[in-house]
Amino acid sequence: MITKKSQKLLKSSHSLIIVCKVSFLLILAALLRYIIMVSKYQNIIANHVEISTPLSSWKRVLEGTFLFSKNINPYEGDLLHETPLALHFYKTVLQFVFKNVNVMFIAFDLGTSVLLYFATKKYAKKFREEHAEIEKFPKEVRDTLPNQDYENKVPLYVLMSVLFNPFSFLGCVGYSTVGIHNFFMSMFIFGMVDSNFLISSLALAICSSVSLYPVILILPLITYFVKVHKSYLQALLTLLSFITFLTLITCYNSNFGKDFSFVRNVYGCILTVPDLQPNIGLFWYFFTEMFDHFRELFIYSFQINATILYLIPLTITFRNRPFVLTVALLFLIGIFKSYPCLSDLGFVLSFLPTFMYLFSYCQQGFVISVILLMTSCLAPVLWHLWIYSASANANFYFGVTLAYAIAQIFLVTDVLFAHTKWEFYLKHGKDIKIDGEDTKLSLE
Amino acid sequence: MTLHQTLIYLLIAHLQFQSISTSDEDTFSEELLLKPLFSEQLYAHFQFATHWNIEPKNENYQHSHLFPRAVGEIVGRYNVQELHISLTGGLWRYETWGYPVIDAAPGAEVWAWFKPSTTNVDKNWKLLANSLSGLLCASFNFVDISNTVSPDFSFRPRGVVDWSNNLNNTFLRYATLPREIVCTENLTPLKKLLPCGSKAGIASLLNSGHIHNTKYHSTGLHLRHVCSSESCDSVALELQLSVSLVYDYAILGTRNWSFKKLFGHGLNGKCPLATKSNIYVDLSSSKTLNNFELSPEPDQIITSIRGGQVSDYALFNIPSKFLNVGVKYPEDFTLTVNIPPPIHANQYLTGYGQERGGIVTEIYNNHWSSLEIVILQNIAWYVPVYLHTLTITSGGQKLEPKILKYSPGKQREKPYYIEIALKLPARSITTVSIDFDYVFLKWQEYPPDANHGFYIGSAVVSAYLPLAKNYTGLPQDSATIFGSFNASRSGYLVQIRTENMVITLPTPDFSMPYNVICLACTVVALAFGPLHNITTKRLTPKKKNEEKLMQKVKKKLVNFLKKKTKTE
Repeated sequence: MITKKSQKLLKSSHSLIIVCKVSFLLILAALLRYIIMVSKYQNIIANHVEISTPLSSWKRVLEGTFLFSKNINPYEGDLLHETPLALHFYKTVLQFVFKNVNVMFIAFDLGTSVLLYFATKKYAKKFREEHAEIEKFPKEVRDTLPNQDYENKVPLYVLMSVLFNPFSFLGCVGYSTVGIHNFFMSMFIFGMVDSNFLISSLALAICSSVSLYPVILILPLITYFVKVHKSYLQALLTLLSFITFLTLITCYNSNFGKDFSFVRNVYGCILTVPDLQPNIGLFWYFFTEMFDHFRELFIYSFQINATILYLIPLTITFRNRPFVLTVALLFLIGIFKSYPCLSDLGFVLSFLPTFMYLFSYCQQGFVISVILLMTSCLAPVLWHLWIYSASANANFYFGVTLAYAIAQIFLVTDVLFAHTKWEFYLKHGKDIKIDGEDTKLSLE
Repeated sequence: MTLHQTLIYLLIAHLQFQSISTSDEDTFSEELLLKPLFSEQLYAHFQFATHWNIEPKNENYQHSHLFPRAVGEIVGRYNVQELHISLTGGLWRYETWGYPVIDAAPGAEVWAWFKPSTTNVDKNWKLLANSLSGLLCASFNFVDISNTVSPDFSFRPRGVVDWSNNLNNTFLRYATLPREIVCTENLTPLKKLLPCGSKAGIASLLNSGHIHNTKYHSTGLHLRHVCSSESCDSVALELQLSVSLVYDYAILGTRNWSFKKLFGHGLNGKCPLATKSNIYVDLSSSKTLNNFELSPEPDQIITSIRGGQVSDYALFNIPSKFLNVGVKYPEDFTLTVNIPPPIHANQYLTGYGQERGGIVTEIYNNHWSSLEIVILQNIAWYVPVYLHTLTITSGGQKLEPKILKYSPGKQREKPYYIEIALKLPARSITTVSIDFDYVFLKWQEYPPDANHGFYIGSAVVSAYLPLAKNYTGLPQDSATIFGSFNASRSGYLVQIRTENMVITLPTPDFSMPYNVICLACTVVALAFGPLHNITTKRLTPKKKNEEKLMQKVKKKLVNFLKKKTKTE
């Protein structure tokens, strides 16, 4: 009786400590963000092309709402690349809920972190339970299995990496609307892990309607319901509700079929890349320097590369690990989308703690972190040299964006390779001998 | 009167004052106005007007008498109601020079009204621009919908229109080419449009070598429909061709000018086809200050009282013999203080670097009462402006525009069009500013000299002045300078053009398209390779100490060599 009570007490005190920790982190993050936001650095950060792409710039949202207030259709011009629903949402939320643009961006960022906290908590628990029967696995890999410690640490690490990784932080401070899109993306992850098909499909429909690329995530979502939640019915419902929500959103955006001018500005811009303002992606310089008669060919191939090229093979390979699949696809979208910004990278990086068990198998951590650090420092410097001092040229900045993309590619392939290796070891053990000789693994 | 009414009053004209011709025949008049400007310049304005009473049957505009057939055909083919073109080099300095007879923007400027029966205005506009390009040897072929706007207020028809009830700016097109360089090749085709060419009459003074030495030179072609009789039961076509020149005394070497100094030679008789051939010299500056001597003696002195301004003009009828008008200033010269005209404007760029900038237009109201104006800005698509950053301040206070018309631009398709109606406070400087971003273009969209920069055209400030101070413009009912004498009206329309601006857009490296394509594709391939391996291949254990290829080769080589030595 006493032990039970004390256990309960211990548990409640434990959860109290966690609540304290989380709220302390949240308050600290909010404070830090607010301090930078009200300082003179906010404008400088918001003006950086790494943060404000044509698709994520808050200035363009302001222009759009201003034009709407003057009864001018902003989609007649091409400054605005947000959907009418998104514009309406920002305006309403800002006007009636937050009153202050700083508060709004901080709130959405904190919301993202909390949602991901709960999502990864659920995921970590489930993941640990899957590997609970240690006896089933070979001896030498048992210490790499997710344990209680993993379950406790992962959500907290994820929370911290959303709140304090510099990429998300700068994106939030610089009013990048991708920060708000990421809130819905984390809602999608939460709904997926929580086996809530309504939330996940709604959030995914919202994300797809604003930035198009997430539409491919419907496949991992369905896989998740089939393989993890073991429910074909829910998978079907997810698909149906996703299509319904997407139709409803498009209906709203087009003013019930009356005005499709936003399609050209939003999806047309995402797909055909007419605005060649530099960003951290691969598209801008490539299509600046492209010969006109090859433009279409390369637009098709780059967009296919960013969307469906890796979708099917990865889905087949990682069908039993849809969470890994989702994160991998998020990474690839972030690298190969037409207008990526730092918030995209910040968001996917915050999933890395869920792969804690793989870190010992990763080989390129050092190289990746050095490249990321260097490019993050060099990008603004070379930008300044090119645009303001006219002592460098476009190639310098292009070089940095290439290195940045390479770092991310190394990261995602490294994680995926480590995961395949880990799964192999779980099945076959580490010490495999052929004819009594030591072996090493290779892909054949 | 509300502002809106004023605007319409301001810009649609008094159609009742249409010019009236007495005979059914075509008429042609040639005039030259010489006006010493404040300080160191002389203004010479050539005005040629052809009036053509079109027969109603003559629908193709092909059988003309004095009227240039080339222009007539253009009008007939493209359904043009009105056409206004100017080709200008240099900038008219409103602050010191007052107002010109005809305002013109630096570079090329063209605006046209099409008849309401036109079905495809954009197509006709494009065709018209191409024809004009051939007619005047100018780059009008670069005019297309991507630099064309249809302003609501600034450019109303100047002549008679039979559809004033539903006057609709969908039939109006306005475009400027600020980069256009105007030179001899534009003057020669213009001279060919005159009935006497440059063989006889005042046009013979248009000597290219001397004209393009000037500080400002502007040629214009203005075509409109006017009433052919007082009852206005039939319309006539009126073509005004003009050449405006501003000579600088410093370039001339002396302030004692004469035809010979200005144009290289004197005048040898008039154009025999002209009904009016006059030369006027503005004497107002002579009367007040520096009494110059005119030679030969003028035939007549005309005193014109117009909108509170009294000015004297010396009139010369062109004799059949040689004429060389000249002036001689006294040795002791008095300097005066310049009194700027009621309204003038400047435009400039703000910001540094190639990322963000601003366009600022400053409008000076020197009049003692408030003035209503309309500002038109036709901003090219490569200068994306943010309307929410538009601020109008005057004397530290924010002004609200009375009317704001805006149409957002689209890359490679449509310019940004802003038209603002404002009430300028009395004696004030009003600043209109707007922010823009520098855009990044495709490498083939940059002009050959990419670092020369891209031009932003001038803003047009239209106002209806209550006084004719410093004003030499023609009244709406007249095509001749003679008609502007004693022409007091209720207001005087000025359309001030501001300076052109040049921005240097950030450039890519033009020399390495192949490298960029290769490098970017390599990065994509870097992702493709490992992902392809992970998804299509299986992990298999392999013996660790299995020989590598190099080792195998080495071993074989060693064995081979060993064998060889053995056999030897």
